[in-house]
Amino acid sequence: MSATTLDHDHAHAHDHHEPGFLRKYIWSTDHKVIGLQYGLTGLLFLLFGFFLMLLMRWSIAYPGEPVPAVEAIRNIPVIKDLFESMFGRWLNPDGSLNGELYNMLGAMHGTVMVFFGIVPLGFAGFVNFVMPLQIGTIDMAFPKLNMLSFWFFFLSGVLMMYSFFVGTGPVQTGWTMYSPLASTTTLGVTNVWQHGHTWWLTAMVFNISASLLGSVNVIATIINLRAKGLGWMKMPFFCWAMFVTAFLLLLAFPPLEVAAILQLSDRVFGSSFYLPTGLMEGGKHLDISGGGSPLLYQHLFWFLAHPEVYVLILPAFAILTDVIPCNARRPLWGYKSMVYSVLTLGFLSFLVWAHHMYLTGMGTMMSTYFQITTVLISVPSVILLTCLMISLWGGSIRFNAQMLFASAFLPMFGIGGLTGLPLAFSFIDLAMHDTYYVIGHFHYVVAPGTIFALFAGVYHWFPKFTGRYMSDKLGKLHFWPSLVGMNLIFAPMFIQGMAGFHRRWYDGGKYFENTSGFSHWSTTLTHKIGAIFGLDIPDNMLSLNIVMSVGAFILALGQIPFIINFWFSIKGGKKAESDNPWGATTMEWATPTPPGHGNFLFEPVAHRGPYEYSVPGHPVDFFPQWESEHGKPNPDGSDAPAKTGETATHH
Amino acid sequence: MADNIEEIQKSVKKYLIIGALLILFTGITVWLSYVELPTHGLNILVGMIVATFKASLVALIFMHLNHERSVIYKVLAFTVVFAIVLFVLFYFSKMDPLIFDGFYKLSE
Amino acid sequence: MDIPYTVHARPDTGLYNAKIGIWLFLASEVMLFGGLFSAYIFLRLGADYPWPVHDLDVTLGFWNTIVLIASSVTVVMAWASVKLRRYGQYKIYMAVTVICAGVFMFNKSLEYKAKFKHYAVKLTDGTILTGHMPEDDHHHTIPYQIKFGEITELSLTIPVKKSAITADPVGYVVPHIEDESPKFKTADGKEITLDDASFAELSAAAIAKAESEGKGSATVKLTAVTPLKAAAKPSEIFGYTADSITFRDGTTAKGKLIDDKMTLLVDGIDARGVAQPDKSLAFDHRYLGAWQPAFVANRDHHIAEFEEKYPTRDKDKSATLQKESLFYKIHSSTPPAADAAHGGDKHGAEAHAPAEGGHGGGHDYPTVVIDKKDITFFSNFTPKLNTYYAIYFTLTGLHGLHVVAGALVLLYFLVFNGRMLREDPEHLANRVEVGGLFWHFVDLVWIFLFPLLYLL
Repeated sequence: MSATTLDHDHAHAHDHHEPGFLRKYIWSTDHKVIGLQYGLTGLLFLLFGFFLMLLMRWSIAYPGEPVPAVEAIRNIPVIKDLFESMFGRWLNPDGSLNGELYNMLGAMHGTVMVFFGIVPLGFAGFVNFVMPLQIGTIDMAFPKLNMLSFWFFFLSGVLMMYSFFVGTGPVQTGWTMYSPLASTTTLGVTNVWQHGHTWWLTAMVFNISASLLGSVNVIATIINLRAKGLGWMKMPFFCWAMFVTAFLLLLAFPPLEVAAILQLSDRVFGSSFYLPTGLMEGGKHLDISGGGSPLLYQHLFWFLAHPEVYVLILPAFAILTDVIPCNARRPLWGYKSMVYSVLTLGFLSFLVWAHHMYLTGMGTMMSTYFQITTVLISVPSVILLTCLMISLWGGSIRFNAQMLFASAFLPMFGIGGLTGLPLAFSFIDLAMHDTYYVIGHFHYVVAPGTIFALFAGVYHWFPKFTGRYMSDKLGKLHFWPSLVGMNLIFAPMFIQGMAGFHRRWYDGGKYFENTSGFSHWSTTLTHKIGAIFGLDIPDNMLSLNIVMSVGAFILALGQIPFIINFWFSIKGGKKAESDNPWGATTMEWATPTPPGHGNFLFEPVAHRGPYEYSVPGHPVDFFPQWESEHGKPNPDGSDAPAKTGETATHH
Repeated sequence: MADNIEEIQKSVKKYLIIGALLILFTGITVWLSYVELPTHGLNILVGMIVATFKASLVALIFMHLNHERSVIYKVLAFTVVFAIVLFVLFYFSKMDPLIFDGFYKLSE
Repeated sequence: MDIPYTVHARPDTGLYNAKIGIWLFLASEVMLFGGLFSAYIFLRLGADYPWPVHDLDVTLGFWNTIVLIASSVTVVMAWASVKLRRYGQYKIYMAVTVICAGVFMFNKSLEYKAKFKHYAVKLTDGTILTGHMPEDDHHHTIPYQIKFGEITELSLTIPVKKSAITADPVGYVVPHIEDESPKFKTADGKEITLDDASFAELSAAAIAKAESEGKGSATVKLTAVTPLKAAAKPSEIFGYTADSITFRDGTTAKGKLIDDKMTLLVDGIDARGVAQPDKSLAFDHRYLGAWQPAFVANRDHHIAEFEEKYPTRDKDKSATLQKESLFYKIHSSTPPAADAAHGGDKHGAEAHAPAEGGHGGGHDYPTVVIDKKDITFFSNFTPKLNTYYAIYFTLTGLHGLHVVAGALVLLYFLVFNGRMLREDPEHLANRVEVGGLFWHFVDLVWIFLFPLLYLL
């Protein structure tokens, strides 16, 4: 279609009139601005969720001891009030955490990280910015819906944050909101809107609507707006993975919406969807009809929440399939098998949900079925990881910040994935369920896994977002403490989990001596290292709590270079010397930097596959999709070619 | 897609017939529901078969699924599979033939 | 600069953007209703009470089905009319569609309204009495209320830090007191009427005092100047004993219980949950003892009829028989004579009549005053009553929302897209097609809803 062609020949192509600030940056329908909005909001939520986790880790390592800096915060004028109504009113008088606040932090950490941090940044942020560029179109298929999607998401974030300020405080029932606890806890409030739970459910309804609009948009765009010549099997794997992710969001979220609506009905209208007959609380029969089942909630919830796990991890694979081939200067190994794997993965992910529910008293036939599908789904995951690893083989790897994060992802995700295998079997899960082993397993997948990949993506596309590089030195200063911190936090969890530590102990096991009183080589080592620094760390499982909390502290320090780097580089980073500074082959690098409204200066046409690196006989070590022959962007050569950087290719 | 004028003119009559059929089958559903079959499960089965037939008429004729593009068939096929998975697994979650009800069974 | 393929189809996929969009959206809707229907399956399989069959107003449901089918036909005709460029016809068809949606929602509101007024009371032995609350002379329902008298003292608890439960007597106590502006004495002898200003002053002083004493919450005691009377629905209070009542805001009043009996105009006795139905608590001499012969005669009649019709079948397994024989509907205020107990209804038609609705047609019902100690649970026909009504209201409510949303979109096309009709009819045809697809889907959901909720 000629509509993708732009007549303007200056870099910042725009319509006849410059839209105002509000129209351009706030109520924008431009996919790039929306992508950045999503990404920045997601980063802020990640930071907030991380902060909640720091508070939790303090309570686990030092139960009953006042949280540091609380006294100081309570003396700062404005922040004092904010802090007091968010957290302060729940703290013990001496400033230490109690179980109630710990439960709030735990529930909100999970919710914020999953629904407000990683999905918006990893999926919505990257897909909105990068995908339309990669498939060579001017915008998403439905730009207005795209804007609506972001603002629904933003509203849901505001509602979720507001739950910190209502009477009961935010929810305390874990990010899973299991009924009947979540349906009946503090049901006696005078006003349902004084209850954090009502706000949680309302926020989720908006969040779900936002991801629904977003995913419809992504799928429709990929199906209908691909550039000329960009057949399905020439599409970058990034788009494939995002395509599957969008389908997961589209089809898995509605049952969660059902779960939320039914739970809201239980709380507000007094129905008994999730409440069994004869349920008592505090020695009193509740005024309910009964007849429902908590299992119903779990089914509806996990029907979403298992595909959600893949919603968290697939954007990571998407990003890495751009970062790794580009920085290894090698084609992606096994593109086709990766595509088929990701499709299989998407399909199977709908069929495995009840492996989260082995302990619910589900029948044996059901659990056998779910064990089989769960083991099956590990096959495509392993194929994806293996293909990425083999892609490194024989490459001349540039170890810049994004490649460091990308290469750290591979073993980290490997650990996370492999430790999940035992959990797939119901008889092992009986022992492991709800222990720190599980926490370690999925955090290895999501934290040093997905979040590392997201960082890699930020470093990789930053020159396209802004026209400037992020500092590589600060990037490395960001990477190493993050790697060390992540492993210090999550590796000891496996040991503690095997010892039987339960995930919801706010005191970190202090009062469970039969579980925590053991010594292990890791605790002895901790004890001895502590002695070097003159610290008296006990030689039992509790010492690992201190290791993890130190890890969390290191991780926190490690993020400071990133924050500085990110904000400083927007205006002060080194200028990208070309539109394609990394020497990449996919079409987003054919646009001017940063891309203006309408993206391309010429109509992009895909001439070849997306990963043509180190093609024998080609003058440079990459052959972009949009070039018909070396240096020529389009067949007739009528338009000015995009500046194609060859500077980045020397190695 | 029925894009040319003649085809649409033809299908107008078809739409009216389908509408009448739908109303007829609604009547049949109501009548069937009062017939006492050997088990109520059979009543449900028969009712659902009629309802599925009606739903297919709406989907095929009114929603033009009888001549749609392959992309849409693919999307819907996956959706229907997942919806059926949902029904079947929820059913078996309650009606699991191998349910474990404890070491100490209450004797009837 | 426009997004490509908004009006015309992309050659290789054969689709324009909006059509892909709506089908994806419908796919997600399939999963939404799929989730709801699987919840229905789950709840029905797990129900520990007889699942209601034919309990809703089948006639109304049937007409609503016809209305929706008709609107489905008109919306596809509207699309065809735009394609054929017959604009007058298009407008008529579109208008009829929107009117159909209105009729559908009107019927729905009738159905809902009847249910909100209808009550079910579960007695301690498992019998369920259905019926209505009595009405006053102006046809206003007199709600079931717990009545207290001689209230002398209010005790309010105000937490120092912000909390979900904090005393709010102005909102939660005063409205239930019969006296218009009750006067109270504070601990230091001041006489006040409880309103926002006076309570704010009171609570600020109490909080300041509690804080200085290092307590987590403040307690304020108010003495009534003259003994007061209060009446509140059970949902408006936390609980009560013979001499105290606790309101929703945690405020406790000392007084004396006057009355907590429930008056009900009974229109049905459902004894399916009782081991010996003919000895149900409903037939206690205080309640409906006089109706027992009629109940037994009706039961025996239906059992005999069933045995004659289906000699080989198991009586205990027929849900219909259970309902016809043990769910006795009452149509008059006095029990029928023993020989005419069945009222000549030989075809079991009364069991087919809706369980609610259909009343008010000159029927009188026996008035029963039920002791509180005999009631285990009561509710009107809302989601609270049981899981069937919960899923009924959720499914039909969400479906109704879809009807309203769809009708608004179609109305928008009708009212605001006149210019597009003249200038870019192909674009409008696409819009109508997409809106129509959504509308058909709404119809399609109803095709399953109607039998599952009303018939089977």
